[in-house]
Amino acid sequence: MIKFIAANKWFKDRHVLKNINLEISKGEVIVICGPSGAGKSTLLRTINKLEPIDDGEIIVDGMYISDPRTDLTALRAEIGMVFQHFNLYPHKTAIKNITLAPRKVRGLSKKRAEERALKLLEKVGLDHRRDAFPVQLSGGEQQRVAIARSLAMEPKIMLFDEPTSALDPELINEVLEVMTSLAKEGMTMVVVTHEIGFAQKVADRVVFMNDGEIMEIGSPPDIFVNPHHERTKEFMSSVFHIPIFSESQEEE
Amino acid sequence: MLITGIKITLILLVATSITSLCLGTIIVIMRISRINILRFLGTLYVEIFRNIPGLFWILFFYFVFPELLPQSWGDKLNGYIHYPVIAGILGLTVDNASYVSDILRSGRLSIPHAQREVAMSSGLSRLQQYLHVLLPQMFRATLPPLGTRMVHNFKNTSLCMAISASELTWATQQIESLTFRGIEATSIATLFYICLASVMVAVIILLEKFLKIDVSSLKQSKA
Repeated sequence: MIKFIAANKWFKDRHVLKNINLEISKGEVIVICGPSGAGKSTLLRTINKLEPIDDGEIIVDGMYISDPRTDLTALRAEIGMVFQHFNLYPHKTAIKNITLAPRKVRGLSKKRAEERALKLLEKVGLDHRRDAFPVQLSGGEQQRVAIARSLAMEPKIMLFDEPTSALDPELINEVLEVMTSLAKEGMTMVVVTHEIGFAQKVADRVVFMNDGEIMEIGSPPDIFVNPHHERTKEFMSSVFHIPIFSESQEEE
Repeated sequence: MLITGIKITLILLVATSITSLCLGTIIVIMRISRINILRFLGTLYVEIFRNIPGLFWILFFYFVFPELLPQSWGDKLNGYIHYPVIAGILGLTVDNASYVSDILRSGRLSIPHAQREVAMSSGLSRLQQYLHVLLPQMFRATLPPLGTRMVHNFKNTSLCMAISASELTWATQQIESLTFRGIEATSIATLFYICLASVMVAVIILLEKFLKIDVSSLKQSKA
């Protein structure tokens, strides 16, 4: 589904992605973790070419993203993206946020787009908030609307860029629940997150990045419990500084 | 004469408001375009038309512009009885559009880059990003200064008296020189300017209220 072949990226002199090789198959859930500045978000954003790569190639669903002949609009329509700060359109209601792209890009009629939007709002538990504007929604609600907005395009791949980092602790779970059910339905997902509990429960593989490089790829227990690399061990021990919390969450 | 003056002033106001908003929007899209030549032309436009007095442009379109056209066209324009009004509309439009575009540009700068990214990542084309995501937010954000600018443009219609477009200020001067009843005519004109400007301000305030989105204005839908 997604294949990175020796992808490299520089921001001016800074080498932010170093020789990335990664293959993600259909239906797989990949969690990318690592310290800040490691290039996790950048890696994610290269998949729909919000950030172009400078060297190498990325093949997404058969489309070569560096090829100038690739129709970027078509590529992006197949890839849903959820951002850390939700970024709903502030001048549109929840339902209008969701129906905009399906109507304009997919050419759906207003009625069909709204039916689909309502179904998705129901799915994220917000059908009663359809006419609310973003400022009238809590952070968790906004992020769930943002997820519904991405899903309305019926994408083949969903990208999540720290979807819970800007949320109050109490609101994180409602968003993670939506993501978990999405993973169970077989959606191909690439998730940048620090939610180790979510990663353990849902991820097929975990990618650990540091300083622009992929240090380790493995199953959640491999990375979280038995990491090989010194840097991974260091990072994990700092993440599990409060182990009681993540364990009690697991049992719930 | 006063009635005709009011009529012409209203025509100038309505026409230039519409054309300068349209032209200003096109210019601002050029100025924030990623295509260098468009950006350059847009910036050049603003620098030329904003830094030269509006009165100059009105005179330009009346006296100079017909000379720049092929002889027969120019003669036709000069002979056209409504040409002063048209020249006035052109002059006011190019002047006001430069301010409009700069005000809208400040609105664009106030929109977080992420809005563009979201629109882009959902597959919207550039034009669609502007139409549905960026422009509506730009107009909302800049409504107060934009409104002030439109009132300013309204007052500028009086400059068209310089090319004897028969608008209100020109009419009062005519009345003064023909009948010496300048006080009456000027008082009526003053009243008209104040009233219409107040109406414009009221409309803008209503529009602001109407477009305002806040936490309390939530219409509770059927759960």
